[in-house]
Amino acid sequence: MENLKYTELLQLNKKMGELAFDISGEIGVLSNVTVNTFKDVLEYSCRIKGFNPIIEIGNYDNIVQDSLTFKSKNTVIIFYEVLNIIDSYSGFFENIDEDIYISLKRKMFLEIDIIFDNLKDVPSVIFNTFSGAYFPNNSLSETKVQLFVQELNHYLILKKTLNVTLLNIDQIFLKLSISESVDYRFYYSSKAPYTYKFFNTYSQLILPILLKSKGRLKKAIIFDCDNTLWKGIVGEDGIEGIDLSTNSKEGVFFNKIQQIAIYLSKMGVIIGICSKNNEKDVLDVFQNHKDMVLKEDYLVIKKVNWIDKASNIKEISSELKIGLDSIVFVDDSDFEINLIQNQIPDVLTFQVPKKTSEYVNFFLKMVYDNFNLVPTLEDLKKTEMYQQQFERSISENSHASIDEYLYSLEIEIKVVKDDIISFERISQLTQKTNQFNLTTFRYTAHEIKQFIDDPTTYVFSLYVKDKFGDNGLTGVGIIKEDKNNKNNVVLDSFLMSCRIIGRGIEYVFAENIIKEIEKVGYSTIGATFTPTNKNSQVETFYENLGLSCVNDHKGIKRYIADIKEINFKNSNYIKVS
Amino acid sequence: MDNTSTKIKAVLSTVFELSIENIDENSSSDSIENWDSLRHLNLIIALEEEFDVSIPDEEVGNLVNFKLIELVINELIK
Repeated sequence: MENLKYTELLQLNKKMGELAFDISGEIGVLSNVTVNTFKDVLEYSCRIKGFNPIIEIGNYDNIVQDSLTFKSKNTVIIFYEVLNIIDSYSGFFENIDEDIYISLKRKMFLEIDIIFDNLKDVPSVIFNTFSGAYFPNNSLSETKVQLFVQELNHYLILKKTLNVTLLNIDQIFLKLSISESVDYRFYYSSKAPYTYKFFNTYSQLILPILLKSKGRLKKAIIFDCDNTLWKGIVGEDGIEGIDLSTNSKEGVFFNKIQQIAIYLSKMGVIIGICSKNNEKDVLDVFQNHKDMVLKEDYLVIKKVNWIDKASNIKEISSELKIGLDSIVFVDDSDFEINLIQNQIPDVLTFQVPKKTSEYVNFFLKMVYDNFNLVPTLEDLKKTEMYQQQFERSISENSHASIDEYLYSLEIEIKVVKDDIISFERISQLTQKTNQFNLTTFRYTAHEIKQFIDDPTTYVFSLYVKDKFGDNGLTGVGIIKEDKNNKNNVVLDSFLMSCRIIGRGIEYVFAENIIKEIEKVGYSTIGATFTPTNKNSQVETFYENLGLSCVNDHKGIKRYIADIKEINFKNSNYIKVS
Repeated sequence: MDNTSTKIKAVLSTVFELSIENIDENSSSDSIENWDSLRHLNLIIALEEEFDVSIPDEEVGNLVNFKLIELVINELIK
């Protein structure tokens, strides 16, 4: 699929979507960059493996708040890109003041705590490690960015809960190169750094994790013996004639395969053999060959006989009580591989490559793609001990909460009435804003200018900044006097850039403009929500604000309220200047 | 109709999930409801791949209707 063109993938994915096979689980994607291309690519990669999850992409740059709403997903994938964190700081990062650096780091730590805490019951969380690979490196001395990335990654490792897989994103950059993975044009125009190719490779990389949580992974590997676990044929060459020595040119590869098998058995994989041989010849090798590292103890099941291998594999499946689709069969012979593929297609076959030098890497790739390698109980206990020790040491500073987090941002807003110098920016916002927009009226700069000049129309603009930078003019409210009732005003437009939503700013902004309008002398306010394809997230905004809905016609909701009676939310972590 | 414009229509149809009959010379971001800023990125990716070209930065935001796309693509593959 890595060579599939993007349009081909879209078409195939759509077709598979129409087949409507069972929905299997929900995947949520949290990110601080735009990753919408990812949805189709991941959906396709999953569907072709036979499972069909619902994939939801969270709001742009809203990881912390969205992590709360993604609590009930089966899998959550997190793209937290240093690229966009560094860019949210308006100065040159290498020049950053030490106290700002420390508070930025603290803010990130706090966010990581909250994210892990919110997602602690999600069966599988994939968190991409932070990367500084997008930035130029100074090989002579460490840059601030590199230091920042290291500190964040270190913190991730310390704090990760057992359901979290840290995915080293640098391995994709290494495989594809940065220029194939990142498209700066889209990053600067739409905060969408990643290429189609990147998402393709990424999806392949995480598939085993997704399959694992779906229980579609393999459990057992059944090896042939001759020319699979050792070089040569024991029945013909004799025990002295076979080769698996670390000192021989070819034997070394077979020796390595045996060591991998031992490792796998420690990681909970069932290891067995199935060989056409006299049983005593094979056992003789296991017990008496000096180079043999895979001892009988590691073998859960042995089928050494002259019966066909398909029957043997079926027996293995029923004796071990595992499905045929949990078994991988490893053999060197074309005949045996074809037989199994033919007779029991559910079994995954792996043929020993003709070039022995490729054996180890190909085998490992198959293993990583199909097995979930979890350490056995003993190893787990060790990890658990470390974990507890660590938790004790950090318990004093683990009172992370959303409130504390919001306070730490030091959000400051300013609401300006009839802001004539910004009429172009205001118009632009009415034109561009889709998601957080209650009525989606589009106005030209000329119209905005007229509103500002009109004494019965009020244009409010919102300026937002926080400890880390200035977001500028990012919200607009337009209020018009009701022509039939001079005491009433109508909230004609209310919109905010999606960069700043999800922090409660919307309520404080609405409260401020309503109070302003009360000062002018109006006593009641009306408002409308008009649904579009994009603004469903604000469908209940006015209810939440405290206005009562008086009419709902085809989703167009009308509200009216006595200004004195509105109970505004208390958001005292936002400073109004 | 030449090959380039047929291909462009096919791409538009796939990216915006419309049947090919609904795409014509006058299709634009105003007439296609699905055509928002996010799908616009997908469109650029699909066009670049289809024609094996790289669309320059300054054109990325401009390709908002069929005719402009055709113009730029023809220029690039010349």
